[in-house]
Amino acid sequence: MSRRASLWVGWIFATLVAVGVVLTWMTVGGDRKVLLAGEMTDAHHQIELACESCHAAPVFASAAAAKKALNKACRNCHEDELKDGDDSHPRKSFRNPRMAAYWEKLDARFCTSCHEEHRPEITLTGAVTVAADFCVACHSEGEQDVRKNRPSHAGLTFETCASAGCHNYHDNTALYADFLVDHADQPWLVPDPVHVLSARQRSQEPASEATLERADAMAPPDALNEQATLDHWAGSGHAAAGVNCAACHAPEVEAGAPLSDIEAAWVSAPPRTVCRDCHKVEARTFALGRHGMRQHPEVSGPRDATGSAVGDVLPEAIMAWLSDAPHPAHMTVREARVPMRGAAADQSLDCGTCHQPHAVDTKRAAVEACTSCHDDLHSRAYVGSPHHALWLAEVSGDAAAGTGVSCATCHMFKAKRRGRIVTSHNQNDGLRPNEKMIRPVCLDCHGLGFAIDALADDDLVAGNFRGRPTNHVESIEWAVRHAASADRDEDR
Amino acid sequence: MNPISRKLATLAVGVATAMSAASAAADEVPYSRVADMLYQVMSADREAYTRMVVQRLTVDEEVITASEHFEDDVALPLPAQMFRFGAELVADESEDFSYALLSLDPINKKNGPGTDLEREGLEFVVDNPGENFYGEEELGGERYFAAVYPDYAVSEACAICHNEHKDSPRTDIEVGDVMGGVVIRMLMD
Repeated sequence: MSRRASLWVGWIFATLVAVGVVLTWMTVGGDRKVLLAGEMTDAHHQIELACESCHAAPVFASAAAAKKALNKACRNCHEDELKDGDDSHPRKSFRNPRMAAYWEKLDARFCTSCHEEHRPEITLTGAVTVAADFCVACHSEGEQDVRKNRPSHAGLTFETCASAGCHNYHDNTALYADFLVDHADQPWLVPDPVHVLSARQRSQEPASEATLERADAMAPPDALNEQATLDHWAGSGHAAAGVNCAACHAPEVEAGAPLSDIEAAWVSAPPRTVCRDCHKVEARTFALGRHGMRQHPEVSGPRDATGSAVGDVLPEAIMAWLSDAPHPAHMTVREARVPMRGAAADQSLDCGTCHQPHAVDTKRAAVEACTSCHDDLHSRAYVGSPHHALWLAEVSGDAAAGTGVSCATCHMFKAKRRGRIVTSHNQNDGLRPNEKMIRPVCLDCHGLGFAIDALADDDLVAGNFRGRPTNHVESIEWAVRHAASADRDEDR
Repeated sequence: MNPISRKLATLAVGVATAMSAASAAADEVPYSRVADMLYQVMSADREAYTRMVVQRLTVDEEVITASEHFEDDVALPLPAQMFRFGAELVADESEDFSYALLSLDPINKKNGPGTDLEREGLEFVVDNPGENFYGEEELGGERYFAAVYPDYAVSEACAICHNEHKDSPRTDIEVGDVMGGVVIRMLMD
């Protein structure tokens, strides 16, 4: 064989091997990190190896089917959030064929039209991958020309629509015109600033007849020797609510079972699932945020190559090598892309990270748990801020329940669900954009105008609201002017 | 059977008939006939909601209001909103047909005519009281049959709301006026 022919054979062989390896990684198993098309966004990087979570279509599906599956995957995790925010541009509004002319400009039927993954070079805040003036695509011509419909907008440029504190593409629940008008002329601080749901939740007393004492603890002798743990439990909300040791350490054992049954079923370090059995809303929302995303039920697990089509053909050792490594169950502080404390780098995020398993001290979870890891300007500035001072006053008993403002007050706020007050454990609920926080949090204490201005002032946010906003968003004045009948005629 | 039950039963039969007719449109029933049947169902549904829910609870019984911001105001959705919610649910589930309530003078600009045929149809139903408009158009690379039906201000409440809304381009609507039109589209073969 000539040298040239040998080279050709070698090249073809190497190519086939490379293609085979890539196809195997794609369809069977193996470390696919090398196949990542580009760095993932801050929102999804921690599930970057769970490819099937988003790329749900079969490997050789058509481009259209793959796109549909990709967008359905977005909705699997984000649909509830969009509903809660009364999505201003819901997908269903754009599916009517009368919107076809808009499909060519910006196809709002698909999330990926504005939020492409693996495109770090063009990714803006909020994982947006279209130019900041994207509103121009649909609101600059004909009947939809906002500059004609709203004389106040005549001189504005489109990159300011979403960046100046006036509009969001999805969630405008605190920014729509009639809401602005209804909340015009509010003082910066209401007369009795109290976060109502926090106050109501903190003042709820557990049923006294259910409360357990230290002596009521039922556990194996070794566990009962851990005095500090027993003390913590006896002073916890669990003991106050009648939750004995076995509820978490021997969850399979029925209430009232003898100690021997409890000892037989005892688990020293129970998994998080035992928390979820009782704290369903908290567990569900935890998995929706960046702290617990890896535990979201729609996030795909590692692939087991032995169960694949070639599982019976190739030797077991090769199949074991091909199988995906187990995906890490929890996010670690080290992996975070926001500034974190070095000392906390090895900390992983689970219920027990913020809630000490026996003490279940929600006050610690509301502040110290956050500041022990987060090291950004806003977090650092919290200690000593006006909000922190209010929190210290509440915790010390000098001020009423609900008057303090902890990290959790704003980032894990309370909500009413079917008559119950629950704490959202999705720390992203009120962020990106931060105006999502206005209605569930800010308005209990502050006027709408002040809240909009404060959240639009990046320096004020970084300084944890020490001082007053230096910018003013004029949206309320414009909405009021438009609503007034005299100006309405002028607008026309 | 009481009148309400009879009306609901009629509606159910109407929906079933229209849906099965929609699937058979290409082979047996003319598109215009299918559109007419769909419109009958939509129109009856809307009238039932307006009279039996909105009118009864807001005007007759005065137990709740109806509001554009029904969630914030803990009120009933307006009849036009209910109509739109139904249209969006259909759009979410099916590509075979779609419908919308549009106007040449919409309160919400997105409900203005979006295609040449929509404009032509809306102008036709305004200029020709009592008549419907039928036509065909191509959208997004697909051929559609479209029908436009006049939408009247059937009560004083319709006229007042539209005349007084801060975003309404018209302030002179009277009972009996055509305020807009229901546009129904069907995907053709």
